Amino acid sequence: MKNLIQLENVAIGYEKEVFVDSISLSIEYNQFWGVLGPNGSGKTTLLKTILNLISPVSGNVISNNELVFGYVPQNEKFDPIFPISVYELVSMGRYSRVKPGRKISKIDNEIVEKSMDSAGILNLKDRTFRSLSGGEKQRTLLARAISGEPDILVLDEPTASVDIKGEAQIMELVKSIQTESKLAVLMVSHFLDTVSEFSDHLILIDKDSNIFQAGTKSEVLKKESLDKFFGINLNLN
Amino acid sequence: MEILSEFMHSYFLWRDPMIVGAVTGAICGFLGVYVVLRRIIFVSAALTQISSFGVALSFYLEGMGLAIFASLIDPFALSLILTVLAAAFYALKRDFSLISREGVIAFGFLLASAGVIILGDRIAKGAHDISTILFGSAVIVDPMDAYLIPGIAISVFIIHFIYYKDFIFVSFDPESAQLFKYPVRRLNTLLLITLALVVTVATRALGALPVFALLALPPLSSLYLTEKLKLVFVFSAIIGGLSAVLGYFFSFILSIPTGASITVCASIFFILAVIWRQIRISI
Repeated sequence: MKNLIQLENVAIGYEKEVFVDSISLSIEYNQFWGVLGPNGSGKTTLLKTILNLISPVSGNVISNNELVFGYVPQNEKFDPIFPISVYELVSMGRYSRVKPGRKISKIDNEIVEKSMDSAGILNLKDRTFRSLSGGEKQRTLLARAISGEPDILVLDEPTASVDIKGEAQIMELVKSIQTESKLAVLMVSHFLDTVSEFSDHLILIDKDSNIFQAGTKSEVLKKESLDKFFGINLNLN
Repeated sequence: MEILSEFMHSYFLWRDPMIVGAVTGAICGFLGVYVVLRRIIFVSAALTQISSFGVALSFYLEGMGLAIFASLIDPFALSLILTVLAAAFYALKRDFSLISREGVIAFGFLLASAGVIILGDRIAKGAHDISTILFGSAVIVDPMDAYLIPGIAISVFIIHFIYYKDFIFVSFDPESAQLFKYPVRRLNTLLLITLALVVTVATRALGALPVFALLALPPLSSLYLTEKLKLVFVFSAIIGGLSAVLGYFFSFILSIPTGASITVCASIFFILAVIWRQIRISI
């Protein structure tokens, strides 16, 4: 299988403050990685290091320059003052393939429409993003991420602001996109049950106790390591 | 009726200032959308004051007899240099470790404002020039401005037409823009340099107060009038142009300061937009 991203002995953090070190892992096509950790554990920092949005404190993040990311950030990060329509927002996902100063083409527009259709939001295309519900916003951000035809889909707590039904719909959608497109998925979440149900690889991260574990689900989901990670006695079924 | 007739017969007096005002109002209204959406209204306030400071500094240096540096101390050149430098600083330096960005913007605004007042007090040309810089004048317009300002407005508009999608992208979601390898810093700098350029010529033509008003109030009004981003730009440019034209008109017929008149007109549009929005919601 082809490596999309490889982390070699990476230390993550900001400036000289190391959150977690000795991180080594390799992400390949058609893998579904779940990233688990408590609040402030360094999950988002790890994600941003993998995305090359921040530099590692030490070590190497190796990826192909042509690699296209689809990124679903937490939806609260967008300023509601912008009257951006759903269509305009989803189009932005296409900018990964359209250089500055260039307009998006007819073909790009068709792909944008198709992405909205796949995410079930075509009927919302003229609405403003700020007027949508939490679940609709997440589906819009997913449509934006897939409109760039990414190699890797990165999701930062995509179910954080939705109810149980919305969470199930979003996770089913992510899984179907991954199965259909054979792309890699890297998803950050608080919820062990969600992550363990859908992912085939797991990362446990906690900067306070300098824990970093990565591997297949069966390698990581062991009672001893989970008890240590969560600090409680878990009953695993 | 008599006043209107007198106004029409004075066509040769107000034609150039009105054209300059309309174009300046429209381009300020257009660029102001970015200012409001990026929540940097006070960057524009600081830039208008820094631009005014540049003009005042030029008059002051001229009064000191530094004619040898004539090209450098030309009011337009000095004002442009200082405003562009300030815009580039605000674009490139976004994080300040111990204080907020607003604090640094306030520092620039206050220092430039104090500088204008101090220099104004020392300028041999007298207080009238400084008053014109700050509050605008109805009848005084440099003949060169009638060509320079539309030329700059068209150039800026072309740049914004070409990079519209990119300016919106880096303003709305700079993180994704960085992820997609967009030159975020360069685009931000280009955006603020076009703003600095317009602020420089507009401040010289209209004064600091109306330029600040035209950068802030038309976009705020437009955000109440429409939920479509492209229309926000169109409405804002129209309201900016109309505010300047009506401001000149009322200034002329009522003999009131032009800058204040433009600012009041832009404020009335804002109040009308808020009322219109309330009516629309209640129906």
